[in-house]
Amino acid sequence: MDNLSLRIPAGECYALLGRNGAGKSTTARMLLDFIRPTKGTIRVLGGRGSDPSVRARIGYLPGDLNLPRSMTGADAIAFFGGLEGGRHPVDTSSLIERFGLEPNRPFRELSTGNRRKVGLVLAFMTNPELLILDEPTSGLDPVLQEEFRDLLAERKAEGATIWLTSHVMAEVERVADRVGLARDGRLARELTMDELRHQATGRMRLTFAEPVDAAQLASVPHVTDAQAEDDDVLVTVDGPVTELLRRAADLGATAIETEHRDLDDIFLEMYQADGSEQ
Amino acid sequence: MGFWKVHIRWLRDRTLSTLIWTIGIAVIVVASAAFYPSLSGMSTGSGQGGGEAMSSLLGLGQGIDPGSPLGFLWISLYANVFPWMLMALGVALGVAAIAGDENTGALEYLLAKPVTRTTVAFARFAGVVTILVVASVVSAIALTISLPLFKLADAVTTINAAGSPVTSPGATAANVFNRTFASFAVALGLAGVAFLLGGVTGRKSIAMGGAAGIGIGGYVLYTMSNMTGSLKPLTWLSPWRWYVSDAMLINGLSWAVVLPFVTAVVGFLVGWIVFTRRDLQSS
Repeated sequence: MDNLSLRIPAGECYALLGRNGAGKSTTARMLLDFIRPTKGTIRVLGGRGSDPSVRARIGYLPGDLNLPRSMTGADAIAFFGGLEGGRHPVDTSSLIERFGLEPNRPFRELSTGNRRKVGLVLAFMTNPELLILDEPTSGLDPVLQEEFRDLLAERKAEGATIWLTSHVMAEVERVADRVGLARDGRLARELTMDELRHQATGRMRLTFAEPVDAAQLASVPHVTDAQAEDDDVLVTVDGPVTELLRRAADLGATAIETEHRDLDDIFLEMYQADGSEQ
Repeated sequence: MGFWKVHIRWLRDRTLSTLIWTIGIAVIVVASAAFYPSLSGMSTGSGQGGGEAMSSLLGLGQGIDPGSPLGFLWISLYANVFPWMLMALGVALGVAAIAGDENTGALEYLLAKPVTRTTVAFARFAGVVTILVVASVVSAIALTISLPLFKLADAVTTINAAGSPVTSPGATAANVFNRTFASFAVALGLAGVAFLLGGVTGRKSIAMGGAAGIGIGGYVLYTMSNMTGSLKPLTWLSPWRWYVSDAMLINGLSWAVVLPFVTAVVGFLVGWIVFTRRDLQSS
């Protein structure tokens, strides 16, 4: 990552989005001191990621969890739980049940999804103050993805700070307060979920009796994009629509329809837009 | 507290492989000893029948009679199979301590927990030492028990090349201890090299290839040096030189046995220091 400046207040859920290789996992690994920045500093929970007392307060799920091949889920819970020095306030059996984990199977026999379940139980079992989750739902079936989102929402409600990397907007939409867009090792864009949701509802389809020049609408304040489609014009707005409606009426609009876009579409558009700016 | 947890966990993860290696070495040791009754007394001299390089490599150029109990143990076990098996175990363990788990990503997950890299390095190298000690002690006990069973404890009288009778003493537990200790030392030295390469690079292939290359290359260097005198000074770089040349089974431990321990300590210290300062490799 290059020139990354970021501050996440306690209790916030920050989602770093981006395509593969954008630098999401690299950032997570820097937080835990696996790799060190060539310039600048990183502070986590008021300390350094290399400090065991700081790590004791963090729950981590790597993008690709690997444990010793003979280690079972139960072994992993006992061993890693023991390293936490007795911080074991969560009933691990409820987590095991919740994710349907088979705790007595060795790691080498587990499928990708089952390995993910082990990782999730390990990450949440100490009720950590900070959760660092790298592509948490990768490999989970839809039911477990929903279960995970429920659990994450619960932990957030209890005050946990969450760092999430993902390219699945559904999990981000549910819990994130802020999202950052990573691209080619840079934080290309940052916005709150409110801003993101606003973009989701900020597209309108205007139908006219006769074709109109889209440029006449593109010049209206708060209109960020206007594209003609037959007798329609698709308009993206990032603010009040009063002026747009007035201009549409002047041009003889016969129908106005608000489009609700999927956050995935917005993510894709943002990504393409930021890419074309570079 | 973290040290013991990491140490014991690392040993537990290697229980099966340690058991297999240890039993395997012990079986080979006993099986080799079992051949002695059928071969004893067949030799007539100090091993000059083969080429000079081979004889020297096997330590037979130093007045060792291969028909005697100690000479038999030397050429059938301690000059080849036994140290090779321990060295292979040492390299595998030295690689596994850092680079093996780092390559799979398992090390990274452990280091996300409240343990320092220093704790992990010390706990795991202690694990390397523990497993090598277990394998060495079990094989030494197996051989010591086998000595009287296969007449290796009995003195034998042979006729040398000059036609004179020569009485060779039987093997003792002290002989077995000396040789096993020297083998352990060389295996630990190579484990230290593997740990060093793994600690510095985090790459399993480099650690494995480098340490095995030093073991095999040292063997070749030592063999070549017995044919080409000009290579003699370089043989101090060879673990084989430290191990073979003083024939410690017969002559007792020499100061050369300190060299592999020094290598192990230096390898561990440098590997540990670099490991705590570098980035982890991603899996």
